[in-house]
Amino acid sequence: MTKDLKSQIADEIEGHTIVVYGKGTKQAPRCGFTLETVQFFSDLGYPFEVIDVLSDMEKREALSEMTNWPTLPKVFINGKFYGDTDILAPMLESGELQRVLGEAFATAPSG
Amino acid sequence: MITHEEIETLIRTALPDAAVETRDRTGTRDHYNICVRSREFSGKPLLDQHRMIYEALGGALKDGRLHAIELRTEVKDVS
Repeated sequence: MTKDLKSQIADEIEGHTIVVYGKGTKQAPRCGFTLETVQFFSDLGYPFEVIDVLSDMEKREALSEMTNWPTLPKVFINGKFYGDTDILAPMLESGELQRVLGEAFATAPSG
Repeated sequence: MITHEEIETLIRTALPDAAVETRDRTGTRDHYNICVRSREFSGKPLLDQHRMIYEALGGALKDGRLHAIELRTEVKDVS
């Protein structure tokens, strides 16, 4: 993993409270799971950033290495890795996600 | 393409007690809903439970036999 890529990712996950690395953009997701994740966060009503890494294999590998997680999308909240909606949906059901997001946005400098 | 039996075998190699349910989401045998129940998940965060399954299925995901999965993991009751 190059240092540049690492610091680019670090900047992205520090710069936004919710970051989704996916395939396609928020307006035009190009994978069913990315679409599902965009809908998931749209329904929650918090601002979130989608970063398209579909064609950036080097960055995808860097992200997988960083998170020890092989698939996209990858969700970060307040700089911490949370997996995908298979993890977030049960967290929403248990109420844990609301607590995490509440805390994240209480301390966050930006959306 | 991959069969239910192959998925089950891969998961059980890593987690011998696993109860594995699969559902072919697209009829093309490469997009699956997978539910795994195992005692091995006990005390582990959900993120790590899913990592264990991704690791078990790593080869099939890499070579494209398995394109995408929706995953659910549950701790099997000790009884």
